[in-house]
Amino acid sequence: MKTIEQFREDFDNTLNLSKGRIKNIRSKAFDKFISGKFPTRKDEYWKYSDPSSILKLDLKFNDSGSFDNENYDIILSNGKIVKTPTNFKTGSVAEGLDNGDIPEDLLKEEKNQFLNLNNAFAINGCYLILDSEVKKNVKILNLISNDGINQAIYPKLIIIAKKNSDSTIFEEIRVKGTGVNFVNSVTDIIIENGANLEHIILDDHAKDTYNISNVCVKQKRDSNFISHNFSMGKKLARRDFNIELLDTGANCDLYGLYFVDGNNHIDHHTTIEHKKEHCTSNEHYKGILSGKAVGVFNGRIHVHPGAQKTDAIQNNQNLLLTDDAIIHTKPELEIYADDVKCTHGATVGQLDEKALFYLRARGLSHKGAQELLMRAYVGEIINHISNKNIRSEMMDIVLKRLPKGD
Amino acid sequence: MLKITNLHASVEGTSILKGIDLEVKAGETHAIMGPNGSGKSTLAQVLAGHEDYEVDKGEVSYLGKDLLELDVDERACEGVFLAFQYPVELPGVNNTYFLKSALNAQRKYRGEPEIDAMEFMDLIGDKIKLLNLKDSLLKRPVNEGFSGGEKKRNEIFQMAVLEPKLALLDETDSGLDIDALRVVAGGVNAMRNENNATIVVTHYQRLLNYIVPDFVHVLVDGKIINSGDRTLAIELEEKGYDQIIEESKA
Repeated sequence: MKTIEQFREDFDNTLNLSKGRIKNIRSKAFDKFISGKFPTRKDEYWKYSDPSSILKLDLKFNDSGSFDNENYDIILSNGKIVKTPTNFKTGSVAEGLDNGDIPEDLLKEEKNQFLNLNNAFAINGCYLILDSEVKKNVKILNLISNDGINQAIYPKLIIIAKKNSDSTIFEEIRVKGTGVNFVNSVTDIIIENGANLEHIILDDHAKDTYNISNVCVKQKRDSNFISHNFSMGKKLARRDFNIELLDTGANCDLYGLYFVDGNNHIDHHTTIEHKKEHCTSNEHYKGILSGKAVGVFNGRIHVHPGAQKTDAIQNNQNLLLTDDAIIHTKPELEIYADDVKCTHGATVGQLDEKALFYLRARGLSHKGAQELLMRAYVGEIINHISNKNIRSEMMDIVLKRLPKGD
Repeated sequence: MLKITNLHASVEGTSILKGIDLEVKAGETHAIMGPNGSGKSTLAQVLAGHEDYEVDKGEVSYLGKDLLELDVDERACEGVFLAFQYPVELPGVNNTYFLKSALNAQRKYRGEPEIDAMEFMDLIGDKIKLLNLKDSLLKRPVNEGFSGGEKKRNEIFQMAVLEPKLALLDETDSGLDIDALRVVAGGVNAMRNENNATIVVTHYQRLLNYIVPDFVHVLVDGKIINSGDRTLAIELEEKGYDQIIEESKA
């Protein structure tokens, strides 16, 4: 419990850094966090990932650091803005709240304790407005740099896609240096009527990092959200997508690839709330696991009363390259409307022996044949990226990070 | 080129090949015929290097090398090609990319420079016409959604590109209509020369009207019981396997 005390000390020491609306939000969030309990494996949604391991880390809040790279429009270093573009409405979360760009209830108290903890430390953070009727591409770097300490980092990103805007956001989380990181990151996205947002999120293997990442999306009428999630195993890696389809005609496509090897861990919990009629969702997640890695996929689809004509598809596929790798996969459908179409499927398997033999019988080495099959496996997800350049860039990155087989 | 001596092989403890002797010289075409379950396909699989089959006894010498010591991919790189009875579908693997990867793997093995995309397209342009394959099949995933005939033609197309020294055709005629059979046989014949050899495994004489063998061997219960020229195949077609088996016992 020492770490909880450290959270309190850090909070008390930093509260006066905030002024205006954010100060009140931070206080409420911290009260909610501290009065609730820290999740453990006894909680259904943490059954296979033990968050209490974070409490043994003796963590210290840190937001120092600087970095520049011309390839990115926005750079956050340990959660703090170090670079923003000039041709956008953007700034810190505190500024966005005070000037009314960010609706205050976006940061209200939540059931999810990691959202509360992130709000409690919303000292920095960055928001970005994507203007109506405009087409934009934005590259964001969320850099975690560590000089060898045990640090807690709270990156926060708020993206608001205005009416009929059409944008692609590329968000990269990169870990540099040595030491232990607890990264509690939140990306909040609001997609207004008729807007189209493609969101690519990429991170890297980082064995001494505990990453709890939440992507929360609120979709309005006829909006479209296309998510491409590329996540790598860590000491503890958990990424949740919480999608709310708030009005009719909204659609979301969630594509995901996760790789985990060694003794590392990866956990995805996705929730799609079908709140109104005529919304569609399509989810396809694929994993490659090797070594003694553990993976978790929990896909929840919640069709609310009255959300008729919902069309939801979910599919999770897993490739286990070793006998010791473990995957826990579970679809979770909760349906309170009677005229809906919901399908789900999950598979767990190895590389097809017949296909390997066929490729080798044509001269490819065992390794070459494996790579070709894995390339095909990941291509099915990567090929959904609309931008050709990003697509080939992601294919290169992904091929480099593929877990090694036997 | 290939010398098989007293070859015994089994799968999961069940003995299938029970002493095969066969010699194939460069420039020759041999047909292996036999009833279902006689071990014809097993022989092709064992020669290609399938790991499900256990070689219990015997020797196979190929171009002066011990073939049984080589892995399946090494055998392919040494020029052994198996045209599959059931070609495998590879979802997501582009047919052209696959074939270029295979060719370059073989070239690399032989110490030759890798071929680039432009050269490769030139190379396959002629071969695809030979097999009367649609260009669109090159852009599709390997064998996925191909008709039975297209799959078999795709096998021979791969063979035409890879130019093996020893081709093993495993029931390549099964599932082919007469037109497709002519095209496939035409492709195989166009590749025959004095430096390579072909072993045709088939159940029916029909294919041998198009790919005319120099030698015909009858395989029954894991052993070659009779060998001859192509007239043996015609005799088989007339009399059926049972009578030939009876005669060979006598």
